[in-house]
Amino acid sequence: MPMLVTAVVGSYSMPAWLERAKNDYLHRRITRHDLDEMHDAVVKAAIKDQEIAGVDVITDGELRRDNMIDYFTERLPGVEVDHTGKKSFFDFASSVVRGRMPTAPLGLVPELTFLKQYSTRRVKVSITGPHSLVKRIRNEHYPSDEAFALDNARVLNLELKLFVCAAPTEIQIDEPYYSGFPEDLGWGIRAVNALVEGVQARIGLHVCYGNRYGKPSWEGSYRYLFPAVLDARVQQLTLEFARRGEEDVTLFAEFKPPFDLGLGVIDVKTHDVETPAIVAERIRQALRVVPTDRLAVNPDCGLVHLPRPVAFAKLEAMVAGAAIVRRELGGA
Amino acid sequence: MILHVNHLQPGVAAAAGATVGSLLALVEEAGLDARLLASLRLHLDWIQYRSNFRDPVSLRRAEGADGQLLTLAEIAVDLRRPADAPAGLRRALRLLGADADDVDDRLWLEAFVPLRDSVIWRFNDLFWKRLTDWEAASGRGFEQALPSGRSDANHPEAVADSVADFWTLLRELDKRGGLPAEIFVLEIGVGTGTRAALWLDRFQALDEERGTGYYPRLRFLLGDYSMPTLDRALSAVGRHRELVSVLAMDAHNPLKVLSFLRYKILSIHLTNVYDNLAVDELVRRDGRLYLVEARAYLAAETAARIAGEFGLPAASLPTTIERLLELGPEVLGDRVRGAAFWRQVWDGLRLEERLRRLAGPAEAPLPPGVQVEHLEDMLATAPDDVRFHISRGAAESFANTLPLLHPRGYLHVQDIFVTSMEEYRHGFRGPGKLDGSVINWVNGAMLGAVAARAGYDVHFAPFRYRPNSRTSVLYTTQRD
Repeated sequence: MPMLVTAVVGSYSMPAWLERAKNDYLHRRITRHDLDEMHDAVVKAAIKDQEIAGVDVITDGELRRDNMIDYFTERLPGVEVDHTGKKSFFDFASSVVRGRMPTAPLGLVPELTFLKQYSTRRVKVSITGPHSLVKRIRNEHYPSDEAFALDNARVLNLELKLFVCAAPTEIQIDEPYYSGFPEDLGWGIRAVNALVEGVQARIGLHVCYGNRYGKPSWEGSYRYLFPAVLDARVQQLTLEFARRGEEDVTLFAEFKPPFDLGLGVIDVKTHDVETPAIVAERIRQALRVVPTDRLAVNPDCGLVHLPRPVAFAKLEAMVAGAAIVRRELGGA
Repeated sequence: MILHVNHLQPGVAAAAGATVGSLLALVEEAGLDARLLASLRLHLDWIQYRSNFRDPVSLRRAEGADGQLLTLAEIAVDLRRPADAPAGLRRALRLLGADADDVDDRLWLEAFVPLRDSVIWRFNDLFWKRLTDWEAASGRGFEQALPSGRSDANHPEAVADSVADFWTLLRELDKRGGLPAEIFVLEIGVGTGTRAALWLDRFQALDEERGTGYYPRLRFLLGDYSMPTLDRALSAVGRHRELVSVLAMDAHNPLKVLSFLRYKILSIHLTNVYDNLAVDELVRRDGRLYLVEARAYLAAETAARIAGEFGLPAASLPTTIERLLELGPEVLGDRVRGAAFWRQVWDGLRLEERLRRLAGPAEAPLPPGVQVEHLEDMLATAPDDVRFHISRGAAESFANTLPLLHPRGYLHVQDIFVTSMEEYRHGFRGPGKLDGSVINWVNGAMLGAVAARAGYDVHFAPFRYRPNSRTSVLYTTQRD
């Protein structure tokens, strides 16, 4: 693999027609079979777009998912989900856990095998982490959020191991809710460690300030992550910088974490497409702090809220910007 | 024929009955084609705005996409002016079934266009750009021309509550270590600047009383597209000037000027801005959707009077009016005389409407941020027969303002809102004339759809500070 590996964070642009179809399915105007066929088609297109853009590590675009919470709560054993208040596919359904979660697979492996069937690139699957899930599921059983998160991690851990058995893949854990609840960080990191226990894959942890509806849910500084995040048993920490500025990159110089930095170089909350030169400059700034072999390049977050031409152009700019710096460094 | 009565004001029942009787007698006398009669609708409206763009009786024809006249037609009667109804009804029936352009009693100022493109909006722009000329001619400030004689924006109690709410937000952010170093506040559409001055006075006092030190961190932004208005507002804020910046901005797109403050502004306020932005109107009749198109005119009699008074040939009026809209009241050489001409033309300005059939919701001219499915959702909750606003200027402004909000920030809009589609059944919602500007009620249901898409919920509360106020307060909360 080249230095400055490029990757997506997870989601790819969701077409308006798919949004309508998801709503049609929610209101039972189309069948599950029809929606599944649309999902297959749109995932193939997302794979192809990422490949043509030249991204090194791709995903399936997460286009089968309604949102980052419901896709998991609907599959987590022991979680009861009530869809009655959900008017749009993107709304969160209400969910509750009333007893100990049984150990059972979530059934996500076919996503990975489908992705591998249509691409020979390095691939990544992302899952919503236990802290973020616990913040969305009403807890009527466990004595604390931490206890719930740790048990949640136990169940999700099985799924990660099933991924690894099915096909070589990287895994990303999404924990945006850390930024809204920094006081939880200690047990949030413990839950991540429980989640990745014994999982033989390259693991990344993605922490942003939220991207729901294409806007941030919180604001602040990543300083809150340190030093607690240094205990996370992950190989990469993926953060957003393009929208917020690179100031917090210096935290990597200050704390010298044992993991790589996934540098957000693409602002996913604006339709303005970055130039390769801007991407290159963002990478150069980060290289003042992080060694080349510890730096990966990615958008700030998922591209789901961007129109497809914008998302594609942004990925192309990201890849071209990384290539500029690689050439400057004498790489391929 | 279908009779629509949207609102029966006390004391007009007899006039309403007489109008129906007159029309039926005229129909009988004229021997109206049975197909036309079956598709005819009579609308008896109570027009809220005494000054508006309608004659006492209006005929609205319907056309297909190919320009062919359809049998659907509407005769709308303003029940405020029943005495003028019989002549108007007679005229409407004469034109019904004939070529509606075949009239010599009107001086047209434009061809049929969607309402958003009508020349009335150019008059509206002129009003705000040349406000001082208008006010000099009218002898009163524009706020005095409001129905209550003053703006609800400046109600001291409302301002005090607004400040208290904002201070509470700052305190909560501060407690969690999330208060930004600079505290941005934005007011769009600044009026006389009275509200900004009251707000800043109150905030400074509260901050000093509680010793929180937030006041010096304020960055209070005043945005308006009228430079005379901004100048006036800047004078009004007096001793707070160091914290205040004025920004010439188009209310349709505050983000264009303030993109550097994306997700950074903690409070944004607008009063009576949305009701003054361009609209389209859609009509659903018998399950079909129509776009309202309009063309402005002066009654020939009015045109002759104005032309005579200002020594102009009547035929030259459209050209002179066009130059007025381009150049302002200097068009007649003398600003005072030009402003008088402007006011008379505005007073006489009327709109003839027609209904253009759309193949379906996907053909509706929706503003940015509003999807076809939003329109379908609105139609699903609307009465079967309904005429409603596509508040396109408001929706565009709203969609281009929300991204400025800090994740914990909020938007407050004081305006006249239709909060559910059902309300469109109950009354005429504009356009009306407010002094020299255009006014329409704002489709709150549509803004709700725009907000949901952008990650916000909207709520409407009555403006409780003035009895019988029609104003509502829209406020946003972050959507879960």
